[in-house]
Amino acid sequence: MDMDIKRLAKLARLKFTPEEEEKYAAQMANIVAMVEKLPDLDASGPLIDPDNPMEFRKDEVQRNYSRNELIANAPEVQAGCIVVPKTVAE
Amino acid sequence: MELYRLTAAELSRMIHDKQVSSTEVTKSVFARIAAKEPEIDAYVTLNEEGALKKAAEVDEKIAKGEDLGKLAGIPIGIKDNMCTKGLLTTCSSKMLSNFVPPYNATVIEKLSAQDFVCTGKLNMDEFAMGSSTETSFFKKTKNPFDITRVPGGSSGGSAAAVAAGEAIVALGSDTGGSIRQPASFCGVVGLKPTYGSVSRFGLVAFASSLDQIGPFGRSVEDVAMLYSAICGKDPYDTTSVRREYPRFEENLSADVKGLRIGIPAEYFGEGVTEEVRASVMKAAHEYEKMGAVLVPVTLPKPDYALAAYYIIACAEASSNLARFDGVKYGYRASSYNSLEELYENTRSEGFGDEVKRRIMLGTYVLSSGYYDAYYKKAKFTQNLMQDMFREAFRQADVILSPTAPDTAFKFGENSDDQVKMYMNDILTVTVNIVGLPAISIPCGFDSKGLPIGCQLIGNKFDEQRLLNTAFAYERQIGGFDLSKTLG
Repeated sequence: MDMDIKRLAKLARLKFTPEEEEKYAAQMANIVAMVEKLPDLDASGPLIDPDNPMEFRKDEVQRNYSRNELIANAPEVQAGCIVVPKTVAE
Repeated sequence: MELYRLTAAELSRMIHDKQVSSTEVTKSVFARIAAKEPEIDAYVTLNEEGALKKAAEVDEKIAKGEDLGKLAGIPIGIKDNMCTKGLLTTCSSKMLSNFVPPYNATVIEKLSAQDFVCTGKLNMDEFAMGSSTETSFFKKTKNPFDITRVPGGSSGGSAAAVAAGEAIVALGSDTGGSIRQPASFCGVVGLKPTYGSVSRFGLVAFASSLDQIGPFGRSVEDVAMLYSAICGKDPYDTTSVRREYPRFEENLSADVKGLRIGIPAEYFGEGVTEEVRASVMKAAHEYEKMGAVLVPVTLPKPDYALAAYYIIACAEASSNLARFDGVKYGYRASSYNSLEELYENTRSEGFGDEVKRRIMLGTYVLSSGYYDAYYKKAKFTQNLMQDMFREAFRQADVILSPTAPDTAFKFGENSDDQVKMYMNDILTVTVNIVGLPAISIPCGFDSKGLPIGCQLIGNKFDEQRLLNTAFAYERQIGGFDLSKTLG
């Protein structure tokens, strides 16, 4: 099995130490061996669920949260704005 | 008689008839929590002050002669992955250890409309990923039948609290067995409803196409009553289904004459212990005595189901959990030099091992070059399984199997072997993949005195028949025995 743990970690925005990488590689090999037990079937064609036609609601403004309620959980706030590291290079 | 030992149905009648007050019931439950919680550890957050305040409100309304819902004044515990306005909702994760929702999940709104009393938030596997509640960031919940053993998971806190009398009934959620397996391990009743019958709005998402909220109770009537209160179409969940939902507890009937009960040989096979097999078959024969007919049915191979389940569940989890980035809410790492590093450090510090493993597996099966081989194939396997169940329900009205291959295991017993841990779900995951309802009811004890669970699977939206079938067994054996955990 060819599993590039470093690449997957990057895609998932996770960081591992070399020891962790080794541990995860071994554990995931076992799990992948388990999930490979799928039946041999033709997996072409579209995937739709005919039993479950979704019913959408109208896109109307209904719930009213105050700005303060919504940012009360933010890790860092200044002047009513959420603070994040600089994203644009100088 | 201590009030905490009574069922919700009994307490509801007593509260409405003014034989007891909600305050007395609530105080009895909190006295029980004070006595048992040090050894059981079922709760992440207790809501004693809020509960007593609500109970007093209910008592006042009753004194005024107001017409209240059946669950008015009943102390109910909530799994910690359902948003409760103003009350910490952690998902048993460091990532959400400081999260106080500004809104209620739809199920909480519905229970609030009936004036329920919220005892607190119940422990679970982190983000509902696990089968033992051991992956909780905060604590290990113990099985009330044997505190050296796990309560099952992921809704282990809910099952343990109900079994130990630390809540009268509770809500849990079931993605691959997370209500039924802990119900089985703790000797209580747990219902995983049909996908789409209960709104998921405000339930922290694990695998959106499989997740479903459901009730725990010490009797079938209690489970029916709590389910009636939470089901129904919700405009905030497009997957919830509009239809007529009856008051299930008012239509309970113990008549199973002529009922066709399907017995799937594959679900009594390899891995299922002899004691579990014998006990579940004994329950099947009780049904025969009551006039039901046992018929053989063929179900999808459990191996296929487990494989398809872990692919679909992890794929959806890796997408759903992408939102935890340390920006708008939840945990944020303290050291970082860039936005990228803020994400990586927050997620690496905030998530536990099992959650990271499942995000990685989901990322792998969705990554380019593997999508067709895994995710798409799993979705086609899902269709194949749906066809097999349609065929089985032509021959049977309900299907009976063990809930879990074995009874509760010891702490740490399966922690180092993920595949062995995942095998706990082998008899329950199929039901989630095909979106059916299923209930776990206690059907005896093994030689260690641990409860064994019997799973009944119903056709889509056939909860009434499923509950009736469970009710018939409960009547036949004279009620479920929780004398060991409630005493």
